[in-house]
Amino acid sequence: MNIVEIKGLTKTYDAVRAVDSLSIEIKKGEVFALLGPNGAGKTTTIKALLGVIFPTAGEVRINGFDVVKDGKKARKNIGYLPEKVSFYDNLTAMQTMEFYAELRGAGREGCVELLKDVGLEDEADKKVGNYSKGMVQRLGLAQAMIGNPSLLILDEPTGGLDPRGSWQIRQKIKDLNENGTTIFLSSHILSEVQEVSNRVAILNHGKLIALDTLENLGKKLDLQPMLRIELQRPSQSVLGIVKQVKGVKNAKLSENVVEVMCNPGAKTNIINAIEGAGGKIIDFKTVEPSLEEVFLMFTGDE
Amino acid sequence: MDGRAVYGVAKKEFMDNWRNKWVISVSAIFLILTLVISYFGSMGAGGTGWRDLDATIVGMITLVVLLVPIIGLMLGYATIVGEKERGSLELLLSYPISRIEVLLGKFIGLGAVLSVANFIGFGVSGVVIGASVKGVQWGNYAVFILASILLGLIFISISMFFSSIFKKRSAAMGGSIFLWFLFEMIWNVVIAGMLAAQYGIEKITDPNFMAPNWYYVTSLINPVWAYSTLVSLSIPSISDLSGNIPSFVNTPLTLAVLLSWLVGAFVLTYYIFNKKDL
Repeated sequence: MNIVEIKGLTKTYDAVRAVDSLSIEIKKGEVFALLGPNGAGKTTTIKALLGVIFPTAGEVRINGFDVVKDGKKARKNIGYLPEKVSFYDNLTAMQTMEFYAELRGAGREGCVELLKDVGLEDEADKKVGNYSKGMVQRLGLAQAMIGNPSLLILDEPTGGLDPRGSWQIRQKIKDLNENGTTIFLSSHILSEVQEVSNRVAILNHGKLIALDTLENLGKKLDLQPMLRIELQRPSQSVLGIVKQVKGVKNAKLSENVVEVMCNPGAKTNIINAIEGAGGKIIDFKTVEPSLEEVFLMFTGDE
Repeated sequence: MDGRAVYGVAKKEFMDNWRNKWVISVSAIFLILTLVISYFGSMGAGGTGWRDLDATIVGMITLVVLLVPIIGLMLGYATIVGEKERGSLELLLSYPISRIEVLLGKFIGLGAVLSVANFIGFGVSGVVIGASVKGVQWGNYAVFILASILLGLIFISISMFFSSIFKKRSAAMGGSIFLWFLFEMIWNVVIAGMLAAQYGIEKITDPNFMAPNWYYVTSLINPVWAYSTLVSLSIPSISDLSGNIPSFVNTPLTLAVLLSWLVGAFVLTYYIFNKKDL
């Protein structure tokens, strides 16, 4: 049985379809990433998964239980880390953990261990109201792990973190997954979650536009090398001419650099076209685009 | 329904709110004023017991009527909308807890804070009264305390309702303030005005005047009026002071009105909160 089943999920706010007929299955033991730009419907999907908002249409199940009809059973063994996690200012970290542990039927000793795990054991008796943003985030992760849940749901877990923090989260995800925890995370930055994810789903404007392993996705998107041409000075007209050249898929101007996605054979024609128009080329080279850049093009509105 | 989940929320709600600075300030004012009233009231009473504390009780009723609803409203108005604005409500609902358990837990926790404030306020005055007056009917005093707590619980219930329907904390606060003015100031003034319009001021101020039933029915709808009537009916020495009240306005009826407010507001809150997207 799949640990999560989302079938035909639609959520409409006034006239806007935040999520449109979304269907996803998450297998036990995998790390599944839900990707998409801001506003794509990722957080709406997660909220519907938790039963915090109610679907306009469709069904959501966790461990076989309908999240709306059997909410308590569905949420029995899951942990959640919201994007902007927030706690109660007047409680200490330890009191906070004990509160949540009580709700999940877990004991006090586990809380001490978890606070140690996220590096908060020295601040456990300080009020959360005095915590820094990073400390609150760590408490958020500790809370999500209470009771060793079989499914962990992380909404933008690397958001707002510095590279080190981001790396630590990825390590944590790997460790937990190795111990059998299924992980469902969302992100708008593919590169941050690329190395830990087994499968990804790409969402844009509420619709599912791709669902596959990263490897297959890369093959499907037909990655091609990109040409970086450094001009002496920025020129919109040169950009226009480049775009007209046969075999050019897309071109972008960044200050005085033209970035072109094209067929390999078109390279010479592009150089000629630029020089023929009077543009002065200082340097040019071929670069491999990252999956990130292709992903951005895929979901961008240009 | 899981008692442990309800208890967990109640305990957290208690810990989070017993140091609420507004609750503490109003409770402190309540404590000081009840102390002052009971001191001066019982000083004048001599040694013949409860009967001579009429002025004290009436004074305390006035105080409770004004302050206890404020404590109730301030405890409850932000309990849903405040957590929602902050983001902690979403996290709470991701746990294996149902919405009714959240509401009950909050109500019980907040009710406990209010009860403690009342017990402290009345307890201290009770000590003063007991020390200076003989033969006090503690049974009546207990009724007084319980009724006052009931009044506070009603206002917690109503403010929780506002907390669940409004999208912003400020709106819930505004609704609560309006409600206080409505029941404390506006309601009975309007009804009295209607009475005066119908009969003329001279007639209604005549001590033998008994107002028509509609006056009492509309007054009863106001939980504050129902509370003060309940207390004065239950304490025999004060009943004599209440003036001409028709017999249908009795203890069971006023109690029923208060309980209807309490349960009704809570049920309405549950109905709304249960279906709401966060």
